[in-house]
Amino acid sequence: MRASIPALVLASTAAHADTLHRFALIAGNDTGGSDTRPLSYARDDARKMHDLLTRLGGVAPADAKLLLDDDAKDFLAALAELEQRARAAQARGERTALFVYYSGHAKDGALRLGASQLAFDALKRRLADAPVDIRIAILDSCRSGALTRTKGARKAPAFDVESGAARDARGVVILTSSAADEDSQESDALGGSYFSHHLASGLLGDADRSGDGRVTLFEAYSHAYARTVADTADSSAGPQHPTFSYDLAGNGDLVLTDLRASAEGLVVPGNAPAGSYYFVDPGGLVVAELDKTADTERRVALAPGTYRVKRRLSDRLRIGDVEVARGRTTILQEPRFQDAPFSDDPVKGAMLDKGAWWTFGLTGGYQSFFDAQTRQSLFLSVPLFGAEAELHDYFRRDWVWGFDAALGGTNSVLALPTLEGPTYRYSMVNVGTSLTAEWPVGRVAPFVGVRVAYLIMGRKFDDAAFPDQRYAMVSPGLATGARFQITRRLNLTARSRLQYLQYTVDAQRSLGFWELAALLTYEP
Amino acid sequence: MRTLALALPCLLAVACGGDFSNDDLEFQNALPQREDLAAKLPDSARSGQGLGTRVQRLSASLVLGGTSELALQAYAAGTQFNTSVDGLLSMLELFRNAPPTTRETDRRIWGPFPADDHPGHELRFVMNRQGDSFAYLLQFRPKGGGEGAWWTYLPGTFKADGGIRKGEGTLALDLKEARDNGFDTKEATALDRLDIGYQTRALPTRVELLFTGAGASVPLTRYASRQTPEGLGEMAFRLPGEDLIPGGLLETLDIVARWTPDGRGVLVLNILEGDAKGAQYTECWDTRTRITFMQRNWDFITPTEGNRATCPDVSALDPVP
Repeated sequence: MRASIPALVLASTAAHADTLHRFALIAGNDTGGSDTRPLSYARDDARKMHDLLTRLGGVAPADAKLLLDDDAKDFLAALAELEQRARAAQARGERTALFVYYSGHAKDGALRLGASQLAFDALKRRLADAPVDIRIAILDSCRSGALTRTKGARKAPAFDVESGAARDARGVVILTSSAADEDSQESDALGGSYFSHHLASGLLGDADRSGDGRVTLFEAYSHAYARTVADTADSSAGPQHPTFSYDLAGNGDLVLTDLRASAEGLVVPGNAPAGSYYFVDPGGLVVAELDKTADTERRVALAPGTYRVKRRLSDRLRIGDVEVARGRTTILQEPRFQDAPFSDDPVKGAMLDKGAWWTFGLTGGYQSFFDAQTRQSLFLSVPLFGAEAELHDYFRRDWVWGFDAALGGTNSVLALPTLEGPTYRYSMVNVGTSLTAEWPVGRVAPFVGVRVAYLIMGRKFDDAAFPDQRYAMVSPGLATGARFQITRRLNLTARSRLQYLQYTVDAQRSLGFWELAALLTYEP
Repeated sequence: MRTLALALPCLLAVACGGDFSNDDLEFQNALPQREDLAAKLPDSARSGQGLGTRVQRLSASLVLGGTSELALQAYAAGTQFNTSVDGLLSMLELFRNAPPTTRETDRRIWGPFPADDHPGHELRFVMNRQGDSFAYLLQFRPKGGGEGAWWTYLPGTFKADGGIRKGEGTLALDLKEARDNGFDTKEATALDRLDIGYQTRALPTRVELLFTGAGASVPLTRYASRQTPEGLGEMAFRLPGEDLIPGGLLETLDIVARWTPDGRGVLVLNILEGDAKGAQYTECWDTRTRITFMQRNWDFITPTEGNRATCPDVSALDPVP
């Protein structure tokens, strides 16, 4: 589930595409305070939009601000800086446009930028007062439609995209990813929010229904609306309806991206079969889609790189790889594609539910028994280093099934009542499996659970007169701690364990020990 | 995968236990090792003829620069001393590094095991602890015998002083008891008992062997070995019935030989009984076992020969006042 609000603004009239000085503020924040669950892709969406606008949207890199996990104060400061630049541009007689894109949490009438908030009303006033000719805000967040419901909000693309866009558009345009009473949703298969994905895909070319090589605001919105509603219609959260608000003086449509602005790109020739094409990056994520009609040449402004292109037929896939070289336009050769069954397609529908997922990590910690005599002369306190694997959401959501193995050891001198002085190496192997339940709050996920471990302790004496010794035992215990999300794929966990150990050699003794550890995990 | 998760703890539970024991180490520490009891001989020492070898007469063949026969005999005594110690300690090797069969508070038992060298018998090794004192028994019994059928072949004690095998101990071989129980004691038929006493608590360490002959009530022969960490060694033994001095009486000799790691040495021979009671002979030798100094307290004309300065400094073996 996604709670985010988007705001992007970029505009220029078709006729003035070359003279409109564009500024862009792009912000993404995965966290929204202690009463929200962390998002997975808000920052990724912001990065994609930043790349898209600077590559195709006519925004010079120096005029674009990308904020990742910054708070409201930083957001307003960046906005003020862009306003100052725009004011200077206006003073030079230039026409100006400001795009604001926000992906993140929103709740109770305010954007949630981490622990800070920025009220919708304040944002609207700030945009209205911005010293630019055109303001476009795109908010990809839950209930972001509240920002548009006062004026001009539509749950459907009730306006027509005008062909032959007029000139001199002025005013404020606001796109939101969902209505005022809806949540915005993310997709693990898409690696982003539905809305931002389809908006970006549209801006890359899929929304260019006119085929003129330029994607206008209306085209992009219409495309994102239709695809977002379609993709979320069957979701458990219900369909998500983007909204659109405009208050444009003049009569213009706004060109958001110029597909020919970059020399590189992919052309799907007119003689290529009609149908749905998906462009998948090496990471397995769909970066663009294309709904091609017969005998129509389409251009997809993909960044340089290698893509797997898939065309869906009713009974199979057609799959091929394509290399988009820097500075060159690549022509898609569909006949070179190969047929493949749907089972080979990880995209579009196969992974809408992320399901169980693995993380792998390295751990370092310390183990010590509670009983002083035990930890001094029997089972010593040792540092531990090991590796762990965690299976998330396998039994149920937010349950983690962990598998761990650690090694520890230290050198010591034996000190017993009648024997003192033998030096030896104490070693221990600690393998276990645990089941914990997490309660994610923002970026932090506290957890508690149970663990069963198998411990092997041994000691090897330097003096051969004393034999090597070994002890092995199953040890039940409890584990608790907190997982902190550093990045979308990287987590740092602080953890403590309390374990019970039955000792049976010299006497029957019930022992307890604790472990403290830090765990760094990566999600492939 | 879920089935595997359930099965894994069960498999691990089977592989539980071990021998990780502090008490076992304390019990094992009470058993002496060869390096604790064996006399450290210099490299030049050659194997001798055994403890029963007679000392040669103090004749004129003893010449300065000649081979010190007394030194060779002292080394031979040390070699045989070690052989006797080895024979006794070898009986403990079976239990030294093996985990005990039974662990009780302050008690460990190894066995019973079949006694391979004595068909029809089985053996066990029992150790008891009381504070820092340990007592151990190597026992045999006819196979199938009850608890009362156990008889002790090798008793031992150890009073720990805290360090690695540091303390005072005794162990013995009761050959008479063995013969009474039908064991063949082979070449040791002339002995009833071999006793070893040792202390490794303080330097120099000391080991004493007492041989009690068949039918005797007191030890017949005594051998004592001492050594220091620097490698100084001492072998002291008392030999009765030696015909060292021409005359009608046999002598009882008290011999103390000391040597350095490089093979130099000094020997003092006292005649306690016999024709020359009270006589004392002192001899020093070099690394090639050649006599460098001689002193006879009964010779008023030439009481000394050679240079006393050639005698090695072995004062570290002197008793601490």
